[in-house]
Amino acid sequence: MSDTINRRLGPLFWIAVGWLVLISLLALLAPWLPIKDPDAYYLVRGERPPYAPSATHWFGTDQDARDMFARTIFGARVSLVIGFVAIAFGMLVGGTTGVVAGYLRGRTDRIVSFVFIVFLSFPSLVLAILITALLDRGLVTIALTLGVLAVAPVGRLARATTLSFAEREFVTAARAIGAGDRRIIIRELLPNVVIPMGALALLGMAVAIVAEGGLAFLGLSVEKGPTWGKLILIGAGSRELEKSPWIAFGPIIILFITVLSLNYAGDRVRSYFDVREIGL
Amino acid sequence: MVNRGNHMKTSSSHRSFRRIGAVLATAGLLVSACGGSDDTEADSEPAAESSPEPAAEPAAEPAEDDTLGEAETDVTLPPDDDADSIFGGTLRYGLEADVNGLNPTSSALSAPGLMMANAVFDTLAVYSEGDTSTPHLAESFTASDDLMTWTMKLREGITFHDGTPLNAEAVLVNFNAQRGDPLVGLAIMPFFPQDDSAAVALDDLTIEFHVNFPIADFGSIVTGQLGMVASPTWIAAAKEDPTLNQAPVGTGPFKFDSRSEDSVTRFVRNDDWWGGDVYLDAVEFYPVTDGDDRNNLLFNGDLDALQTTNQASILDLLDSDAVQNIIDDTSEESFAMMNTAIPPFDDIRARQALAYASPVEEYVELIGLGVSRRASQRFTPESINYNPDLVQVSNDPDTAVALVAEYCAERGEETNPLLGTTTCTDGKINIELQWSGPSVVQTRIAELLDEAWSVGFNVTFQELPQDGHILQTAIGQYNVNTWRQFGAVDVWTDNVWLLCATINPAGLSLNWPRNCDEQRDALLFQATAMSDLEARAEVLKEAEALINQAFTYVFFTHTTWVNSFADNVRGVCDHTSADGVKMRCAVSGRTWFSKIWIE
Amino acid sequence: MNYWVQRLTASLMLLLAVSMLTFAAMNLLGDPLFNILGPAAADTKPESLEKVAAAKELYYLDRPLPERYVRWLGDMVTGDFGVQFGSTGQPPVSELVKERFPRSLTLLVMAQLLAAMIAIPWALISAARANKPADRISTVNSFLLIAMPNFALAVILKYVFGIKLGWFPLTFKATDPWLTRVYQTFLPALTIALPAAAVYQRLLRTDLITTLQEDFILMARSKGVGRRRVLFKHALRPSLFSFITVFGINTGTLIGGSLIVENIFRIPGLGSAIVEAILREDFPVVLAIVMIITTAFVLVNVLVDAVYTLIDPRVRR
Repeated sequence: MSDTINRRLGPLFWIAVGWLVLISLLALLAPWLPIKDPDAYYLVRGERPPYAPSATHWFGTDQDARDMFARTIFGARVSLVIGFVAIAFGMLVGGTTGVVAGYLRGRTDRIVSFVFIVFLSFPSLVLAILITALLDRGLVTIALTLGVLAVAPVGRLARATTLSFAEREFVTAARAIGAGDRRIIIRELLPNVVIPMGALALLGMAVAIVAEGGLAFLGLSVEKGPTWGKLILIGAGSRELEKSPWIAFGPIIILFITVLSLNYAGDRVRSYFDVREIGL
Repeated sequence: MVNRGNHMKTSSSHRSFRRIGAVLATAGLLVSACGGSDDTEADSEPAAESSPEPAAEPAAEPAEDDTLGEAETDVTLPPDDDADSIFGGTLRYGLEADVNGLNPTSSALSAPGLMMANAVFDTLAVYSEGDTSTPHLAESFTASDDLMTWTMKLREGITFHDGTPLNAEAVLVNFNAQRGDPLVGLAIMPFFPQDDSAAVALDDLTIEFHVNFPIADFGSIVTGQLGMVASPTWIAAAKEDPTLNQAPVGTGPFKFDSRSEDSVTRFVRNDDWWGGDVYLDAVEFYPVTDGDDRNNLLFNGDLDALQTTNQASILDLLDSDAVQNIIDDTSEESFAMMNTAIPPFDDIRARQALAYASPVEEYVELIGLGVSRRASQRFTPESINYNPDLVQVSNDPDTAVALVAEYCAERGEETNPLLGTTTCTDGKINIELQWSGPSVVQTRIAELLDEAWSVGFNVTFQELPQDGHILQTAIGQYNVNTWRQFGAVDVWTDNVWLLCATINPAGLSLNWPRNCDEQRDALLFQATAMSDLEARAEVLKEAEALINQAFTYVFFTHTTWVNSFADNVRGVCDHTSADGVKMRCAVSGRTWFSKIWIE
Repeated sequence: MNYWVQRLTASLMLLLAVSMLTFAAMNLLGDPLFNILGPAAADTKPESLEKVAAAKELYYLDRPLPERYVRWLGDMVTGDFGVQFGSTGQPPVSELVKERFPRSLTLLVMAQLLAAMIAIPWALISAARANKPADRISTVNSFLLIAMPNFALAVILKYVFGIKLGWFPLTFKATDPWLTRVYQTFLPALTIALPAAAVYQRLLRTDLITTLQEDFILMARSKGVGRRRVLFKHALRPSLFSFITVFGINTGTLIGGSLIVENIFRIPGLGSAIVEAILREDFPVVLAIVMIITTAFVLVNVLVDAVYTLIDPRVRR
């Protein structure tokens, strides 16, 4: 039928996962790693920054002589946290709502679906800008804003998956033996919904991380501390690109590999479990 | 007004002040040269337009740093008397930002706005190459013996672009309109009595001004926005229909032609200009917020001139042989400014601590880039008023920490009304740093300051859009911010930022730090009334020492203004007053167009 | 027919809901009076108090929120988008929209065209060489493109084509002739088009491969029809269905992406207008542009549905 059915996750998948684990560990352990201080100014008298990559500064420094490697690692902390919190919130709220709506059908479903569609029709970036500009730009606000934006897409998937499962025999059977709604949702539906959601989670994290970068480019990211978006922004001026491209490209490469890994891993999980589904 | 978030917890004080304060007007202009773009530096501060200082001719601009070497003297010489100046051509000028409107009586004109206004309006007086004003649109200024009554006589036969005659009545309409505007009016307030006695028309061409204190050179105050005279017909029409604010009508060498906001504003030659021949066919202004883009446009020939304070851009301009640069760093200073009305900076030890902790050397190196010189006071070393004994303390974390410890031990339990926290936490003083953004350079500055101040301070960031930033500062809702001010050519017009009289505890204060020093006031008033510049300098040096000892400012650099022109633009510095007195070439980054021609 | 009535009603309700959300958010979280009048809002001089009273009347600021919403809605439906906030007399919002809309439209149209022009040949080639090395490489490429964040891609393209190679100008000037402006819009359009093209290509390729295995294709081949002809004439059209659907729906995503691109390349379109307006809290502008974007989004969805119904007889209701 289709071209290749991959029955295994594949070595690339594990490489991607490996990278994700690595970057998460680096981010988590950053304060204790033997890397330079991300906020320190490593000015060398007589030489004006930015300094090109060298043995002392692996990714070079920015215009203020701050070490780009350290800043990228510390930037990972914020970017990954935002990605994680956003998608976790989306899955919690969106997932639950979607499953409930998909199961209960009727009026609940119509209302919930409508709400989802409203949010999906809204250009999400505009909503994010609106909220961050009107409220504040703390880590929590931004992460939750992106989380709120994740609710609809996650919820929609959860609902669709639930709908397709709710018709299945095992649900009918459970109902026949007198199991209540709550039991059915928790014991029968949720476990099956979790898997496609897992794939979506990985993809969603990538989206959230990129969204933070977009916000940073508009000057609306977290107020204090480096994030990947902010780092790239500082290095993205025409003058910087011409004379010192490493400032932007260091973080761009790390960001790209991370997003790539998330996308790939999510993709592989999805096709792996899809195939198993077909096999059922 | 974007000022919430962190302050949601402090409900009352923050929000209520928002409704009280009005944004202030500056003594003439809100010289906020920024559009919140990446490349502009600490600009959102109203600058004292007033007295331009003695025109800093590029050649006379001694540079401390080598990079400011030869390029500055690269300005074209005036054409030979018998060379034919060429009529024709359009001068395309690149500005750092656009403005909202071009009405000097109701728009806060920033540096780009003033530049555009220079094309379409004339001012009552202008600055000569010395530090003094000379009549321009007005014919003469005569003072009474006590220097508190000034009689201004206008020239005969001048009309506005729409045919309305220029007379005393017209000037009064302008004057009163400016006084009535919440913005502009606040700048004028200290100088004139509140009632109608401030300005009286004696006859069709004569006005008598009464001022609140003796002023040696009244003309200074009317060399900028305050001295721009717009057609009263137009002012009235614009009141009814605010869209007309975009289409100014003045007496200037160019007439308004068209405007597409954020794109291009175009003025064409006024063939009947009272001041003589105008060579250019038209002047067009292009707001280009990115400094690199602006430079590239000039180098590629898509622009004929530009104006900038961005040090990185300036380095590139100085490097190029294809442009003429007018460099002037005698105007504003960039500094961090503290609010002495609320804790913690109501205590001088906290202020001193901040100064000692400040990374001024790094600032000069990383932000100044060798283009902007370090500043210790409001005057550059070449100025007659420069006090060589004054030093801006900085880069001394140990002293800072000791002072912080002293402050926290004694006053650490008080409340910081802005943050809603105690003044000290864990032995460090809690403060909020405000600035105007979004701007990459401003963010870098904030991070640089934070890193150094963190030895003794817990710094919270608050980035605001420009208007909001100015408002918060005016109503005293800040601890410390980055600002740009001073540099008035004639020093006394800067008094507005320093006097006790301009502090309004419940509302707007033009004395931003809200620091009152009566002894200093006395010296400033004394200096204002003196025409002997040498004697005046001694008084000013004393006053400057008092400013230094108050620790309300941490001076960083003297702002460097650069106006660059393509090689084929001539007559860049040839403008003269109506009486033929050579004018200062540039004042705070503004140049004039009356004698420019293109080869 | 019933279906379309339902569809339209749902769309209208959607627009209403979005407008209510935005209106409420802006008015509850911001301070309209200051945004309209600037400093005069808090001044006590008689002239300023007059201005305050006038503004309150003009903008119905003293009325309760629902009433203001209804009034705004009424104005909007008749085409009156209101006046920009600000006391210095900017042109009305409709002027701003009229000026900026064509630029954003050009950008979007160019982007989608480029994306289609890149994706279709690419998919055809990949499908023809399915699973051969060329195909595998292109799969990797398209994956990489999809993973690249649009602002990072913008920076890279700007660097390579704008600065290093100098092929494209880095600034947009509204006063330039039309053709020059199109040239200036090329790089930003490409930034948006490349990831979209990758998505389209993947989808189209999969569908092409599936179609190529259908019976009628085998029939044609056995009759001696050449491979290329089979690909173009017989396989392409049926495979386009999903492509068209995604193409249409993706327009919405592209609109969002164009916001950042407009900012990075400094194109004065609706995207940069709304970002500036949000920072300035200029409500009428924000509301107007949000409504335009959402309407466009909804319209596109309805259109895609209609087209789909028309071309695929199997889906006729």
